[in-house]
Amino acid sequence: MQLSTSEISELIKSKLENFSTSSEARTQGTVISVTDGIVRIHGLSNVMSGEMIEFPGNTFGLALNLERDSVGAVVLGDYEHITEGDTVKCTGRILEVPVGPELIGRVVNALGQPIDGKGPVNAKMTDKIEKVAPGVIARKSVSQPVQTGLKSVDSMVPVGRGQRELIIGDRQTGKTAVAVDAIINQKGQNMTCVYVAIGQKASTVANVVRKLEENGAMAYTIVVAATASDSAALQFLAPYAGCTMGEYFRDRGEDALIVYDDLTKQAIAYRQISLLLRRPPGREAYPGDVFYIHSRLLERAARVNEEYVENFTKGAVKGKTGSLTALPVIETAAGDVSAFVPTNVISITDGQIFLETDLFNAGIRPAINAGISVSRVGGAAQTKVIKKLGGGVRLALAQYRELAAFAQFASDLDEATRKQLDRGRMFTELMKQAQYAPLSVSNMAISLLAANKGYLDDVPTNMVLVFESALHGFMNSKYKKLMDGIESSKDLAGENEKAVEAAIQDFKATNAY
Amino acid sequence: MAEISTIARPYAVAIFNLGKEKKTLAKWSEMLSFATAVSQDVAMKAYIADPKVASGDLEASFLKICGDKLSEQGQNLIKTLVEYGRLSILPAISHAFEELKAQDEGMLEAQIIAAAKPSAAEVKDLVKRLEAKFGNKIEATVSVDPEIIGGIKIVVGDTVIDASVKGQLQNLAYTLAA
Repeated sequence: MQLSTSEISELIKSKLENFSTSSEARTQGTVISVTDGIVRIHGLSNVMSGEMIEFPGNTFGLALNLERDSVGAVVLGDYEHITEGDTVKCTGRILEVPVGPELIGRVVNALGQPIDGKGPVNAKMTDKIEKVAPGVIARKSVSQPVQTGLKSVDSMVPVGRGQRELIIGDRQTGKTAVAVDAIINQKGQNMTCVYVAIGQKASTVANVVRKLEENGAMAYTIVVAATASDSAALQFLAPYAGCTMGEYFRDRGEDALIVYDDLTKQAIAYRQISLLLRRPPGREAYPGDVFYIHSRLLERAARVNEEYVENFTKGAVKGKTGSLTALPVIETAAGDVSAFVPTNVISITDGQIFLETDLFNAGIRPAINAGISVSRVGGAAQTKVIKKLGGGVRLALAQYRELAAFAQFASDLDEATRKQLDRGRMFTELMKQAQYAPLSVSNMAISLLAANKGYLDDVPTNMVLVFESALHGFMNSKYKKLMDGIESSKDLAGENEKAVEAAIQDFKATNAY
Repeated sequence: MAEISTIARPYAVAIFNLGKEKKTLAKWSEMLSFATAVSQDVAMKAYIADPKVASGDLEASFLKICGDKLSEQGQNLIKTLVEYGRLSILPAISHAFEELKAQDEGMLEAQIIAAAKPSAAEVKDLVKRLEAKFGNKIEATVSVDPEIIGGIKIVVGDTVIDASVKGQLQNLAYTLAA
């Protein structure tokens, strides 16, 4: 017989102490039918929409459909032991999950129960999973950057704290890689991360957690996992649960980053629930409110102002803004962004990072399509130095794409065109980056400066990345002070720029490519 | 069950309104319970469900069995039900009608389940308290169930007031398992 974690005598003692023996008046009903996790209940005349209901055997459900003679509910967890005629009780509560710093470093399921075998989560607080997003009065515009550590993202599609930036692409294009790199780069950035895995293989989730652990990212990350084998109800609820855990930090004047990987699977889980509840299907068989499930979730990612934080904490935290940045992931089928769910989420978010199979297969990784990836608010939040140096990248790549199409037909090109093509090729190469190797602001600035000032023009295209890493190594050892200056000020003032240029010349003088 | 009560409701409401207008609620109650009893007979059930029986035959034989127990309007109800093929939901109609009638009379049915038989005075006191709580007249039926170990359990419609030892032990078990 195995000992369960809940059988520690201290815990039992506290439970016995807090146990009340008063009689209770509760509304009750009976189960009429159980079908694939959906239960129809007769009675429960006072039940609320979204209320938790209690089945026998310590199982809970969520009332979703309130009809005239019956209530449609989803069971959270196993439903095999529920049979027709079972008694169901109202609880009068909305579903809640544990929140707080105790969750950091843990892997929990959609109900906040630990699944990493590290014992109970001793969270002191719980909070409702469905909450209304802060209103316009409580908000502040996005003005601080989230450094993802990816050259292509930070220079072309910058993300600000409180922004919702969609990561969209086909399967196997590196969507999760971009999100995980962004989490890894938050070390020491005062950012708590929440990674919500929805409908993924348990092995994939385990891999992500292992990678986060290896890179020391679990020290500031919460993982909420609703794997493919969990019930559709849990897959549907996981993003809301994760969001509530992230909001805890937002509301207390801290910054948090949440990754929903991925919302397509959540929509599919919701479609399953809705169809089993016999709600009328609409486009692609999704129910009518599939837009709302994503809009209400992503609206909760926001930057809130000082007054909101002060009011929320009752004056304990003053003069600090809080933010919850969301990186939702959407998987498209064969690049079709005009499918129902992708268009919905594109329209909700403040921009998208578009990943393409062709680019990925051509070795351009991260496979970001610079032409259609945008960030609608991130520009205002971009780090000064990256903004100054990265402005040319987008333009160079756009011109390169335009010319490259023409250049296929022309046999001999004039000098200016050839130069532009070479430059575009160089920038494309420079935007490549290995996984789990995010760059600091100073390193990124050096790379961009070298490219902008033409120091890479005489480097063969296939040597660009080798040159870059050698340059970083050289700068970080020989010009450490200068680099630290850029890192702390996040800016490159006049004389510093000259010093950096001189340093690059120094590097080029001692190395040949 | 849910679907059946949804179908039965308009019939029950119509009967109730008609009965109230003509002040024949008691008569209707009697007729419905009689017709229900007839329709629930094993042979009759099979006969109703038999697709080979023509609706005219079913109507005639059903009315013949009921004889003079049904008023003209009662007979019309049977005819309507046969026409729509809804004779099998008669019990649900009867149940819904009784509910409406009880509601109209301001009566609530309460089931009092006790571990040991309570005295008449205790029941009277309990009913008085329940009437105050629900703001309605309470018609209590008392039953004894040693399974609940101690205390009482009161069921009024959907509301259950559980003050039994069994319920509390169950709660304790859940609290410890959670």
